[in-house]
Amino acid sequence: MIPTGEMTLGPFFPREFAQGSNDLVGQAKGEVIEITGRVTQADGRALDNVVLEIWQADGKGRFDSPDFFGWGRAATDADGFYRFRTIKPGAYEGRLPHINFCILYSGLMRQLQTTMFFEAGRDPVLDAVPASRRNLLVARREGTVYRFDVRLRGDDETPFFDD
Amino acid sequence: MKESQLARRDPATQSEGVVAGYVQTSQRWPAQPLVRRPLTRSELTGPQQLLKRLTPVRGDLAGYGDKRALGQLIHIRARVVDEDGAPVPGAVVEIWHCNAAGKYIHPNDSNDAPEDPNFYGAARMVAGDSGLVELRTIKPGAYPVPDTDGWWRPPHVHFSVWGRIWLSRLVTQMFFPGDPLNDADPILQAIRDADARNRCIARLAPTAKGPQNALVYDYQIVVRGKGATPAL
Repeated sequence: MIPTGEMTLGPFFPREFAQGSNDLVGQAKGEVIEITGRVTQADGRALDNVVLEIWQADGKGRFDSPDFFGWGRAATDADGFYRFRTIKPGAYEGRLPHINFCILYSGLMRQLQTTMFFEAGRDPVLDAVPASRRNLLVARREGTVYRFDVRLRGDDETPFFDD
Repeated sequence: MKESQLARRDPATQSEGVVAGYVQTSQRWPAQPLVRRPLTRSELTGPQQLLKRLTPVRGDLAGYGDKRALGQLIHIRARVVDEDGAPVPGAVVEIWHCNAAGKYIHPNDSNDAPEDPNFYGAARMVAGDSGLVELRTIKPGAYPVPDTDGWWRPPHVHFSVWGRIWLSRLVTQMFFPGDPLNDADPILQAIRDADARNRCIARLAPTAKGPQNALVYDYQIVVRGKGATPAL
């Protein structure tokens, strides 16, 4: 492999930090699902070792659930794929079911925030996104697997939020 | 917490997304403007008991027992505070950096510098009641960035911090005061505001003597708000 600049640029995020944190199911009640997707950059190249963190409600829309801890972390593999095993979050107070994503990577000067939805509809956060780009935040269902790709830049770029 | 009470990060205190001389940023930072969204419960809550999912990791990078990592022994007193300056007790903090020769413990580090068998490159700690995290380590070295024309990363320490809510997540780098490489580092210099940039630089406590005669550095991490520490 030819060394490139990014190899010595942060984050040299320790691999041990990203291991073993992508299964949120535990003892939780609810519909068990898998979320997977590919992270790519502007030229379409899939990215290895991208860190993705998620925060979500339990099946009843609660963030202080007694039986579910709604935080997880995964890292992409050499083909750019991440995976989470979790339960489908419930809706709450005008929000559609959704999962917040935080993306950390070398070449990102600061973390990127986005949100995955399970279906389109009225939602104050989804409504804040230009109409033509909303579909990019809706995962595609394939059985019990939801596919949510993240394109950092370029064609069909994932919408990201200000924080 | 209501949205109106939540001070957002001031864009002037944050780094540019695309940085000249750092070629990967032009492939990865979004071309479209970031979308401003209303804040609801999922943004205004956050994981409170992260150690349910993350295990504690050694809170000492400077050696194993009697075997000491090579380099200047330092003691970092990092204090995690929120946008109002109030400490964040219980904040989880991850820390990693390269060894004194400028080599990371990471398969992706191609730098031709020696490894140090007694150096342990990663820590995960929990802040005490005063928001304080104390770490014994050695001062990291500088290293050249491959395929660039004389870009050296100045000595720096990576910090990953969770505040109280999802929006308080902060990943940044701590720099050492007075290093001339700081002024030439495209990453640190991507923060245009000088005061914000200075928040990334620790302060040496010149007369303090840390445990085992370590040099003491004080560093404050403001996780949110107008005076937030810039993300890096």
